[in-house]
Amino acid sequence: MKTLYVQGDTWLHRLSPGLKLGGLAVFSLLLFVTASPVVLAAAVFLAGAIHASMRFGVARTWQQLRVILLSISILTVFTLLLNGPADALAVFLRLVALAVLAATITATTSTAEFIDTITAGARPLERIGLVKAADLGLAIGLVVRFVPEVLARYEAIRDAHRARGLKQRPLTLAVPLIIQTLRHADEIAAAIDARGIRGQNNRKLGEGS
Amino acid sequence: MATRDLVLAALFAAIIVALGLVPPIMLGFIPVPITAQSLGVMLAGVILGAKRGGLAVLLVLVLVAIGLPVLSGGRGGLATFVLPTAGYLVGWFFAAVAIGYCSERFVGRSQSALVQVTGFFMAALIGGVVILHGLGILWLAYGTGTGLSTAFLGDLAFIPGDILKAAIAALAGRAVMVGYPLLPQRA
Repeated sequence: MKTLYVQGDTWLHRLSPGLKLGGLAVFSLLLFVTASPVVLAAAVFLAGAIHASMRFGVARTWQQLRVILLSISILTVFTLLLNGPADALAVFLRLVALAVLAATITATTSTAEFIDTITAGARPLERIGLVKAADLGLAIGLVVRFVPEVLARYEAIRDAHRARGLKQRPLTLAVPLIIQTLRHADEIAAAIDARGIRGQNNRKLGEGS
Repeated sequence: MATRDLVLAALFAAIIVALGLVPPIMLGFIPVPITAQSLGVMLAGVILGAKRGGLAVLLVLVLVAIGLPVLSGGRGGLATFVLPTAGYLVGWFFAAVAIGYCSERFVGRSQSALVQVTGFFMAALIGGVVILHGLGILWLAYGTGTGLSTAFLGDLAFIPGDILKAAIAALAGRAVMVGYPLLPQRA
């Protein structure tokens, strides 16, 4: 799976992920309390300037933002029709500023950094016994590992449909896909426990629940 | 949480991600293709129950947040969470938990097929239509400042499709329960 991360060594790459996420949250809160086109246009300029200072190139920027810009355009047209041009302009500027800044942070923070940040963020929850922070990284790794396998299985089931001249229906595709995939859960869980990845104490805890 | 539950949630998250990568499936009797990814969210609740189904969807959302393009159409990254439509994304988690909770209560293994399918359908409607669209509308109204009634009108177009998906999820949920039962029993 190709991530949206862009390798580099800019000042934003070096900034801690927690700080970047906090900054984005503050930025979005500030944008939602104002509707002034001047302030919002300034925010768009600021986000654009930060993005431009990363020097990703026009092609990559377009590739990152085109889907999101389509959603923003649809929302803007709806607002224009329902609420008039002033509201539509505010919605458009606000969303473009947010989308550009968010995409820039996504592009400058690697998956590993994010997982570390989330794990650190989950520590307080671990202390009150809600989750085990290390499980999160394990689970994310498992998902990424199994997506290609699920896709291959889907293609095999689809080919089987074709070979027998059956129509591809959601039901006859999804049910075997799900059963075939989930049936491996026991083996995978046994393999994880056999390697002691989650630690002895935790396994005993798990057996009780 | 037992290792097996963690693995089941991760595997289902992988299924939801994979369903976003496959082309939309045509249904035959209506001319509109359906995107399989939101169907996957309903299936997570119906098949795994509240706890594991919720975790599966939460894992997908974490993958989106950390910049993997795992949503249908290759969308992903933090930008998807700042749009006014993010309520439908965050709502997936609450929908899966609610569908799982209701399924655990409504459906028992000894019931007849019709009762089981109806139970799953009701659960999918409560979580996947009422809760998901409720949250989506609230977030949309707040994010665009259009007001609740206009946000509701914009939302209406997607409700028939999701009712249909709830029906598919109910049938698939029952079929999986017969073939490989996983849903915790509470009834």
